[in-house]
Amino acid sequence: MDSLRLGSYTFSSRLILGTGKFSSASAMIEAVRASGTQLVTVALRRFNREQLEDDLFGPLSEIEGLTLMPNTSGAATAREAVKAARISRELSGSPFIKVEIHPNPHHLMPDPIETYEACKILAAEGFIVMPYIPADPVLAKRLEEVGCSSVMPLGSAIGSGQGLSTAEMVKLIIRESNIPVIVDAGLRSPSEACAAMEMGCEAVLVNSAVAVARNPAAMASAFAKAVEAGFEARNAGLMPRSGAAVATSPLTSFLGAAS
Amino acid sequence: MSSLPAWLTDERLSADIEPLLRQTDAESLERLAAEAQAVTLRRFGRIISLYAPLYLSNFCSSGCVYCGFASDRKSPRRKLDVGEIEKELMAMKVLGIGDVLLLTGERTAAVGFDYLRRAVEIAARHMPRVAVEAFPMSVAEYRGLAECGCTGITIYQETYDPANYRDLHRWGPKQDFLERLETPERAISGGIRSVGIGALLGLSEPVGEALAVLRHARHLCKTYWKAGVSVSFPRIRPQEGGFQPSFTVSDRFLARMIFAFRVGMPDVDLVLSTRESSAFRDGMAGLGITRMSIASRTTVGGYVAADATSASQFEVCDGRSAEAFCAALRAKNLDPVFKNWDAAYNNPLASEASA
Repeated sequence: MDSLRLGSYTFSSRLILGTGKFSSASAMIEAVRASGTQLVTVALRRFNREQLEDDLFGPLSEIEGLTLMPNTSGAATAREAVKAARISRELSGSPFIKVEIHPNPHHLMPDPIETYEACKILAAEGFIVMPYIPADPVLAKRLEEVGCSSVMPLGSAIGSGQGLSTAEMVKLIIRESNIPVIVDAGLRSPSEACAAMEMGCEAVLVNSAVAVARNPAAMASAFAKAVEAGFEARNAGLMPRSGAAVATSPLTSFLGAAS
Repeated sequence: MSSLPAWLTDERLSADIEPLLRQTDAESLERLAAEAQAVTLRRFGRIISLYAPLYLSNFCSSGCVYCGFASDRKSPRRKLDVGEIEKELMAMKVLGIGDVLLLTGERTAAVGFDYLRRAVEIAARHMPRVAVEAFPMSVAEYRGLAECGCTGITIYQETYDPANYRDLHRWGPKQDFLERLETPERAISGGIRSVGIGALLGLSEPVGEALAVLRHARHLCKTYWKAGVSVSFPRIRPQEGGFQPSFTVSDRFLARMIFAFRVGMPDVDLVLSTRESSAFRDGMAGLGITRMSIASRTTVGGYVAADATSASQFEVCDGRSAEAFCAALRAKNLDPVFKNWDAAYNNPLASEASA
């Protein structure tokens, strides 16, 4: 099966995990292992070199074969996100950066204007830039043009569990995109992740749905299977949906009988 | 006094939550708790963000009848000097704390803006997140604090009932109800990223107070879309002076209030301090509450000298060590988080600050 390509990196797993909201670092690590993911995102906010028990970066960096993608969650402006990205690269050594800019600390919706500005700068600095964005097809193309390695439109609000409420917009983004489209945020169940893959996403990112499950490791594994199934189904060629109802009086009778 | 703001009495801002607060039966309380837990889990996951207070000084110019620091109390006054502030911060860091709330009394000649700004500067060198609970300031002063690394302020209105407010604040700058009420807005305009509000529960009729706090929080969210708003639920504790509150706020009412706030404001931080008992805190963690203080010392210099002789502002009820409290959270499948912020984001709030 072909791989997910992001920048110069390739991944056989198409499930990306978020690492916040878990009951403990060890529960998070267990879920990461159970999912078979090769790419996780971790907030600079949760890097803690002074108190290792509180740190998420350390335990993740010990997992072999795992690439870390720091994120800028907490940034309200492009300037702050760029600063956070540079610090994250110093601390983690990873060229990946997930750009998250949410000026409203309550609903955490991404700011399209600040995100665009930050991505332009970070792509020019050689980062593998992965922006979290509203499901806006025009913004997605603008970000592709400035050198982002993927776009990550939201399925619905972070932590809402409302699933793919932006499905129609995500389909438009996928149709036009030359870079991987990864649905990020809002997914509640593996079936929704599967649907995103069938739709044409190259990967999905999940956090809350795994972190708050009664058994996070089992839920992570279930998401991994669903992502794989959706990808395989898409490649296998889904049966066309049945079309519109056939009119009782044929619409083409005026054309006369076939000769 | 100029006129009260319209939001204070605008019932439309609280109509959806009022029925939840007025119910008194056990069944509705249990239902509300379940809803609050579900909302909290979705939006905040299983983490509890921790902070600790650092009392810089107990000098005060006001005469709040309910406070151990009021200027007519006989207890000795002191303030930490620069070296002592550093030492306290070091002692806090040993406990793992990465989020500090700096406290003072009302503005005095001994402890004013310049002193506070210096303290913020020092704290921001050691802690990723620094917030202040002190006296009302001007927009320019708040901008000065934000530029030194202060990301949040807490300012309780104490009571939202203007008549009660007048009786309880016998003298000093805190007598100005409206100036205090508008303080969060000045802080946000000065570039402070988040504001914490609350009423000191027990001073006025509890349902009315709860509704006023809710209106205040919602007014701030609607007006300042970039500012973080958090709500605390301080209940009056015994303190020097022996003040007896006029209203009893039961555990059940306080729990109901917190659940209702979580349902009504699904994505703001709700804060519970060590004023409350360990049993109540453990019970409420994750049922709406997302932010808690830890290992608090409410005396000036209390982290270095645990037996400090200065009076405390109030008696701590949950006196457990950081370790013991974290163990209790973990037993509830919750993750105590000491650092949930980064100094990279310690800039004044963008557009408001440049306005």
